[in-house]
Amino acid sequence: MPPIIEVSDLTKEFSRPDVSPGRFAGTRSLFTRARKTTTAVDGISFQIDAGELIGFLGPNGAGKSTTIKMLTGILVPTSGTVTVAGQVPWRDRRSNARTIGAVFGQRTQLWYDLPLRDSFEIIRDLYSMDPVTYRTRLGQFTELLDLDEFIDTPVRSLSLGQRMRGDLVAAMLYAPPILYLDEPTVGLDVVAKGKIREFVAEVNAGRGTTVILTTHDMDDVERLCRRVVIIDHGKILYEGDVELLKAQYVTSRDIVVHCTDFDATTISSPFAQVVSADTVKATLRFDPDTTAVPKVVHDLTSRYPITDLSVLEPDLEDVIRRLYTERTPAAARSTDA
Amino acid sequence: MPVDTLSTRLIGLRGFYRAGYRSVLAYRSDLLFGIAGLVIQAALTVIVWRVLYDGQDEVAGVGSATAVAYAVLGACIQAVVMPWQFSSLPQRVIRGQIGVDMMRPRSLISQNLAQSLGTIVGRLPIGAGGLVAGLALGGVQAPHTLLDLVASVVSMALGIANIMTINLLVSMTAFWTLEIGGVLILYRFASSFLSGALIPLWFMPAWLQPILDWLPFQAQIYAPLSIWFGTRHGAELLGTLAVQLGWVVVLFLLLQAAWRRAVHKVVVLGG
Repeated sequence: MPPIIEVSDLTKEFSRPDVSPGRFAGTRSLFTRARKTTTAVDGISFQIDAGELIGFLGPNGAGKSTTIKMLTGILVPTSGTVTVAGQVPWRDRRSNARTIGAVFGQRTQLWYDLPLRDSFEIIRDLYSMDPVTYRTRLGQFTELLDLDEFIDTPVRSLSLGQRMRGDLVAAMLYAPPILYLDEPTVGLDVVAKGKIREFVAEVNAGRGTTVILTTHDMDDVERLCRRVVIIDHGKILYEGDVELLKAQYVTSRDIVVHCTDFDATTISSPFAQVVSADTVKATLRFDPDTTAVPKVVHDLTSRYPITDLSVLEPDLEDVIRRLYTERTPAAARSTDA
Repeated sequence: MPVDTLSTRLIGLRGFYRAGYRSVLAYRSDLLFGIAGLVIQAALTVIVWRVLYDGQDEVAGVGSATAVAYAVLGACIQAVVMPWQFSSLPQRVIRGQIGVDMMRPRSLISQNLAQSLGTIVGRLPIGAGGLVAGLALGGVQAPHTLLDLVASVVSMALGIANIMTINLLVSMTAFWTLEIGGVLILYRFASSFLSGALIPLWFMPAWLQPILDWLPFQAQIYAPLSIWFGTRHGAELLGTLAVQLGWVVVLFLLLQAAWRRAVHKVVVLGG
C-alpha cells in the first residue's frame, strides 16, 4: 500500500519587511520596501503510512506548524510536493477538507458564543453526516471523553481541558482518515492529558485513523508514538523509531542504590562509575554497550547490603534535549521562523 | 467520498446560518436592549419628524405622513441589517482561526454570507419591535398597491444582498490591517447617510444627487423604500430593480476578487 502522506523536498520561504534597528526604525519601516527572506522549512522529505501514529517534533520555531499548515492546505509551499491521500492539499482544498481533521491546541475551531452541542451540529451539517451516524458517534465520543457535564455549556465558559476535548470531537465527528494534532495537550493537567491520550490511542488503534502529533510533551510521544520525525531549522534531524533514537543517543545508563545501615559513599564497582553519593544513596553510571545491566546489578548486590536498587529508563526528554543542543548551536539561531 | 450536490451544499451552509442566528439569540439581554432602543428611536423619529414638518403639508414634494413612515421603516431595516459587529471574520483573522475555516468543505465566502444571513434573521425581532412602535403611533403607511408591495419586497431582498456583500468587503479589511475599528465607524456613518436610512435621499441637495445615484448605497434602503411609497412605476420601477441587481452582481464579483487576494495573502505569506 502506498503511503497516505508523501512529502518530498518541501520548502517554504517567508518574505517579511526588513526592519533595521536604529533611530526612527518604526517610522522608517512605513516607507522602506526592503524585505528579508527566511526559510521556515528547508527541503524536508518523509512518508507516513496509513494507520500510523507519528510524532512530529522540534523546538519552537523549528518549522513544525508551517509544515502542518502545508499538509492541511492552509499554506502553499515555495517548492516541493505534498500528497495527502492522493490529493495536493492546497489545490484540492475543499475535497481535502473531508479527508482531514485537525486540532490546533492554541486556537479553537468551535463557535465561541454557542453551546458545544451547537458546534457539533454545525459540523454535522457541514460534512453532510446522516443523523444516525452522527448520534451514534457523538454518543461514543461523549462517553469516551466525559462530555456529558459540559456539552450544553457555551464554549466561552469551558475550561481549557474541556474545550480541547470538544475540539477533538469536532475534528473526529466526520471520521476523517487523517487527524492532525498540533499541541493538543499544551497547558493541560495530568488527568486531562490522560483523557486526551486515551482518545487519540482509541481513534488510532480502534478506528485506524492516521495521526500526526505535534507536541513538546515527551510523555505524549512515549505513550503514543512508535515513530517520530524531528525537525529543526526547517531540516530533518531524525526520522525513525523512538526506541532506536534512544539507543542511538543514550550512551550511558544509571543505577541508583539505596542502603540504610551502610555508608553509600563507600560504594564502588569495577563495571560502573560513581556519579554521586551520599550516606543513604549512590548513583552509578555504566556504558550499556560494553556492560550488561545484570552484571552491574549482581556485582553491587553481592558485595553491599543494598535495600533498594533501580535501573533508570533512558529518558526521551534528555535524548531530545541533547539532540536539540548538539545539532543547533546557539549562534546558528539567528532567524526565527 | 460523498459527492457535492446542491442539497449537501445547502445543508452544509445551514450550519453557518444557524450559528449566525443562534449567536444573536445567545445574548438575550443584548437583543432585548436592541428592541428597547429601536422602539425609543422609532417613537422619537415619529415625534421629531412631525415637529419638523410643523403643519406644512409638503417639503421637497414629500408629504409629512410619507416622510415619517419612511424614517421609521428606514430605522427598522437598518437596525436589522447593520449589526454592531458585521461578522466574526475580523476576530477569526486576528486569532488565526481563519486557517481552520479554510479547511472546511465550503468556500469562505459562502460560510460568511450564510452566517451573516443568520445574524440578520436573528435580529428580526428588533426590527419588529420598532415597526410595532411606529404602527402604534400611526407613523407607518402600507404601500398603495399590491404591485408596490411585491416589488418593494423583491427590492428589499436585493438591498439586503447588497448590504451583506459590502459589510463583508469592509470586514475583510482585517486581512490587511487587523484592526478595523476606524474603517467600521467611517463605513457605518457613510452608509447610513448615503443609503438613505437616516434621511430620505429626496431631501439631499441637487448637486449631491448624481453622486448618490452612482454609489451602491442608494440601492440598499432608499430604492426599496421609494418603491414602497409608490414613487416609481413601470419602466422606472424595472430600471430601479435592474440597477439593484447590477450592483449585487458587481459587488459579488468584487468580493470574489478581494477574497482571492486575501486567501493569497494567507496561503503564500502566512497570514
